[in-house]
Amino acid sequence: MKLRKYLICTVLISVLLTTTAFAEIPYSSYTYDYWGNPVPAPAPYVPTRIVEGTTLGIGDFNNANDLFVSPAGKIYVADTGNNRIVVLNDQWEVERIVDSFVMNGEEQTFNAPQGVFITDAEHLYVADTGNGRVVELDEDGNLVRVIGKPVNEIIPENFEYKPTALVVDRAQRLYVVATGVNQGLMEFDSEGNFRTYMGAPRVSVNMYQYFIRLFYTEEMLDRTTDFVPTEYNNIRMDEDGFIYVTTSTISVYAIQGAISGRSTDDRVSPVRKLNPTGKDILRRRGYFPPVGDVQFFSRGYAEGGQSLLVDVCADKYGIYSVLDNKRGRIFTYDGDSNILFIFGGKGNRLGTFNNPVAFDKVGENFIVLDKSVSGQGQITVFEPTDYGRLVLQAVYYHNEGKYDEATACWEEVLKYNANSELAYIGMGKTALDQDEFYTAMKYFRLGNKRDYYSKAFKLYRKEVLSRYFGVIVAVILILSVGLYIRAKRKGRREVVA
Amino acid sequence: MEVLRGLRYVTYLIFHPFNGFWDLKHEKKGNLGSALVIVALLSITYILRRQATGFIFNTVNLLELNILVEIISVVLPFMLWCISNWCLTTLMDGEGSFKDIIITSAYALTPLILINLPMILVSNVITVDEGAFYYFFISLSTVWAAALMLVGTSVVHQYSMTKAFITCICIIVGVGLIIFIGLLFFSLLQQMFWFAWTVFQEISLRF
Repeated sequence: MKLRKYLICTVLISVLLTTTAFAEIPYSSYTYDYWGNPVPAPAPYVPTRIVEGTTLGIGDFNNANDLFVSPAGKIYVADTGNNRIVVLNDQWEVERIVDSFVMNGEEQTFNAPQGVFITDAEHLYVADTGNGRVVELDEDGNLVRVIGKPVNEIIPENFEYKPTALVVDRAQRLYVVATGVNQGLMEFDSEGNFRTYMGAPRVSVNMYQYFIRLFYTEEMLDRTTDFVPTEYNNIRMDEDGFIYVTTSTISVYAIQGAISGRSTDDRVSPVRKLNPTGKDILRRRGYFPPVGDVQFFSRGYAEGGQSLLVDVCADKYGIYSVLDNKRGRIFTYDGDSNILFIFGGKGNRLGTFNNPVAFDKVGENFIVLDKSVSGQGQITVFEPTDYGRLVLQAVYYHNEGKYDEATACWEEVLKYNANSELAYIGMGKTALDQDEFYTAMKYFRLGNKRDYYSKAFKLYRKEVLSRYFGVIVAVILILSVGLYIRAKRKGRREVVA
Repeated sequence: MEVLRGLRYVTYLIFHPFNGFWDLKHEKKGNLGSALVIVALLSITYILRRQATGFIFNTVNLLELNILVEIISVVLPFMLWCISNWCLTTLMDGEGSFKDIIITSAYALTPLILINLPMILVSNVITVDEGAFYYFFISLSTVWAAALMLVGTSVVHQYSMTKAFITCICIIVGVGLIIFIGLLFFSLLQQMFWFAWTVFQEISLRF
């Protein structure tokens, strides 16, 4: 009787356990190790919901191109095809729709606006692409100013100005990405006058190209492509006022070369961080440059070729994420460009995308705007898992100088993911601080961190040498005395002979 | 015994290459046995170098280390060099026989063993800061071996230095040619095999 009860219990429990509903994550998360091999990692973020225009009650999005989370936590969507800006609150309810404004007494509308930016004062900047202007509206939708086509002798008369993305810094300077511009970002002063181009990527010409061009005729030179800098496709600003820009026009060969050479060169980097003078200051200390996927052979379902980075999103302490349009993946890097997470993918399920174009962070969640195949876009919300929170927390603690707390986090991370080189390096750094050199060496070895290993080893060597100093001196003394006696005897023998 | 005597001669040869290589050939100071031992030792050195070099200087993924590949990567270039050397110098009035070439080339490679083996030990006790020292000796061994190879080629074939230098470059080109023809051969063989295989399949599936 008892046995029967027990059996029934077990069966019931096992049935209950197996039928527990949980959302399966439609992508496999991973990171790249020191050797450039993808190693599986726990999912850092899980998709939780999808938001569509129809469910919001405002009709489908149409080719929506940009998404921006304001400092107050409101979500702005540039609904390009519908010529409107949709403002949502953090409860995913429509707060207002901006589709027109009053200028000089008459009503004006947008024409295919592709980018939005919101200042701390909740002023809305719209890159009104089709009308070739940038519009600034205050929080109630009243027009503040319109910044039209830049006028300057270095800009040709027939230049068609199509702003697609912009940021505004605290000094009210405007940085605009426009299509067909490869001189960098267009900088406008607080009055709205065009100042200069800034942050153009340096052009690189290799020896072979230079050499072969010496033999080209005029006609051949005309037909070959010029060495022009790459065009930027998106722009974001972090809380310190540094500008992140992305580009997707770097050739696959250049990217491949940068990966195999573990290059830190900003010329072949699809993501750059610019200071106000336009200089790239992104720290590229990771094992590989931040180019998205490190291995990208086409195999089976996965498309080959380098990642096409179309948007970037900055977190605190220099942590940043980039969005790969080609394979629908999000890559998160820490301030030194060490890879933290890779997640997402292409597909039609919750958590995968068809044509992801923009993303941003709401609190700790990621929201990704997918244009979809038909242009009827949708927004996917990703929430961090315990693992994702732990890794970020460890990086935060490390940047705040709370090394003990960071180590505790890294230890916890290792329970989830024994492949985490970053966790080993983090633990090694703490061991080094606590003068446990041998332990530090062990961790740096596991994390493949050769420079830190060398530091730990140097101190360990010193420790060993000083501990056995007496023995070493004694051995040297005995040896030299022995050699001396032997030499003397030999000399005597020769004299005798 | 003969082999050991041949090996001990190395210490003289690497410091006095002109006399050394002359006597190696004409006074029969070296022999094929010791030459093969040197090549074997060189393979072992390279395996050890991959496996046992200190972590700071070892940039090889030890999980993917394959001893067979390491051995082949020493023996194959050596054999290609010797064959290409022999092919060319027989056409260019070289005096050395194939055996002479093998012995000379093997002996010329000894600095690689004599320097790299201790450097494996050293690499385990030095840090990045002292890395220049490590890399200096590694490159010294290579340069030394290359110089010995040049002198060896000139002495064994009784070439002038200039002619030996040009010959060495031609030999390297020859090695490239041999590899090219080899790949071509195997690729053709593979295609022929697959052709025969498809014909066989076609026929066997039909009946």
